[in-house]
Amino acid sequence: MATAAETVGRYLPLTARRERFSRFADQFRANTKAKIGFAIVLALVVVAVLAPVIAPYSISKTDISHRTEAPSVQHLFGTDSLGRDVFSRVVMGSRISLYVGFGAISGALLVGTVIGLLAGYLGGMTDELLMRLMDAAMAFPPVLLALTLMVVLGPELNNVVLALAFVYTPYIARVARSAALAERNESYVEAAVARGESNRRIVLAEVLPNCAAPLLVQGSLNVSFAILSEASLSFLGLGAQPPTPSWGLMINTGAGFMETAPWMIIFPGLAIGLTVIGFNMLGDGLRDVLDPKVDTVEA
Amino acid sequence: MYAYVVRRTGFLVVTLFFVTVIAFVVTNILPGNVALLILGPNASPASMHALQTQLGLNRPLPVQYLDWVDHLLHGDMGTSLRFDEPVATLIAQKLPRSLLLAVSATLVAVCLSVPLGIYSAVKQNQAPDVAASLFAFVGISVPIFLWGLLGILVFSVWLGWLPTGGYVPPSKDPVGTLTHLVLPAGAMGFALTAYIMRMTRSSMLEVLGTEYVKLARAKGMPRRVVVLRHALRNAIIPVVTVIAFQFSYAFGGVVVLESVFHWPGIGQLTLIAVQSRDIPLIQGCIIVVALIYMLSNLAADLLYAYFDPRIRYGGAA
Repeated sequence: MATAAETVGRYLPLTARRERFSRFADQFRANTKAKIGFAIVLALVVVAVLAPVIAPYSISKTDISHRTEAPSVQHLFGTDSLGRDVFSRVVMGSRISLYVGFGAISGALLVGTVIGLLAGYLGGMTDELLMRLMDAAMAFPPVLLALTLMVVLGPELNNVVLALAFVYTPYIARVARSAALAERNESYVEAAVARGESNRRIVLAEVLPNCAAPLLVQGSLNVSFAILSEASLSFLGLGAQPPTPSWGLMINTGAGFMETAPWMIIFPGLAIGLTVIGFNMLGDGLRDVLDPKVDTVEA
Repeated sequence: MYAYVVRRTGFLVVTLFFVTVIAFVVTNILPGNVALLILGPNASPASMHALQTQLGLNRPLPVQYLDWVDHLLHGDMGTSLRFDEPVATLIAQKLPRSLLLAVSATLVAVCLSVPLGIYSAVKQNQAPDVAASLFAFVGISVPIFLWGLLGILVFSVWLGWLPTGGYVPPSKDPVGTLTHLVLPAGAMGFALTAYIMRMTRSSMLEVLGTEYVKLARAKGMPRRVVVLRHALRNAIIPVVTVIAFQFSYAFGGVVVLESVFHWPGIGQLTLIAVQSRDIPLIQGCIIVVALIYMLSNLAADLLYAYFDPRIRYGGAA
């Protein structure tokens, strides 16, 4: 029997959500920061997808006779110490950065959301235990924790994703928890409880969609931190290994040729900066549009 | 306030317990154990067994953990495998240098960001405001090591004004210490500017909109005096807490920064420990770094509570 409570619980929110989305789209279009950020991120994704087409040279073919050549028409960003085309490597490197950024934060979102929703919705001892654990993970500076985990996991790109997912999970969990706490006492949750729905269903079908906004903002900001962290790890030699065209790793190699070939660090550096600016602007813009309370976090 | 301090400090102790567990577990699942690292890959099984017994490595892990914590509490962090020196001695030697670096970086950030923030607030939404926030945005969007390298490129390689890296103890040559400090502290300070500037700006804007500031202006006081004397004093409060947070961020970043500038502090020590899989040294370094990171965050939280009575009396952390 379709009760009033069910109508409120199911059908109304659907239209309300649709309405909310079109309002969101309007506000998003009106926000310059969000638009620029979105454009940069979109451009990056396109470059990453089309990377093999865009890159004019092989990223691994070395050519000692043409090493550390200054930027020219043939080699837009110059060549590196092994004669590889820096432009091609920077273009292919976008794949690495986006893979790590999206991969790590997807993982963190998955685990962090579950932990945060459980802690916030169930409360009590579960909440205390989970959140103290998260506090402990956050007591380490992010790069230090990632670095320690990399020692255990071994320096490899997939392990970077794993380590960074672990590092950023607590930040997501915190946001999910406070969002769930706020939603727990809303009348639509009470209605669902009154309908006799299971805890799992309530959390997944009712609470989660309403926590999406803060999670989206935190997630997109954390992508930029994850990309910065990957660059740092690879720079320290504990992330991606040669000949992976990771921007951080390229800068690591380039540091040794700074005097003769500064383009080896300048172009990958610009790529990192642009990427991070893109995600930061997108996150900032989304925050302005959606206006949730978000934790600030450091890279 | 007292209750809040006790509660928050209690949290710190609980967190610290978890931190030691994490540090212990992570380093104990490292491939290759301490005995193997000491004896090398060609050691006979008999000598391996003898050393493991001697070091207590064949005891159950929880027992080893308790023993380790017991030593920690007595200030004994074990002996570094690589340097063959007590870990505590090594850390005591390197830590002050890292603190010097982090404090200087925070100072640079404050000197850059507070005036910029004030100026931005006064010129809200005008060109200088937009330029300042752009400047800060770029600062946080580029990794610290890149700022460091670019600094070296411009000021050491091209201009030749500053050393490319290294460290000179102040007892030997205080001016040398300073010249070696400029680039790393500047690079890190620049990266920290954004948050402090943002906070200063929004806090100033809030205060500039209050009645007493308007009244002071209405009474004919010069704008300069009102901004710097009346508004700033009240606006600076939330900024102080952000500064404390930024210090912890700076300290957390020393691993990367010290590696760029060959600054022999705890960051570089950690990196050496990690690269040579020196387990006691890794444990010691991560616990000390985490402890300082936590303490500065605690200081920031307490300052925040001190200035914001809602937290102090509300009891909610």
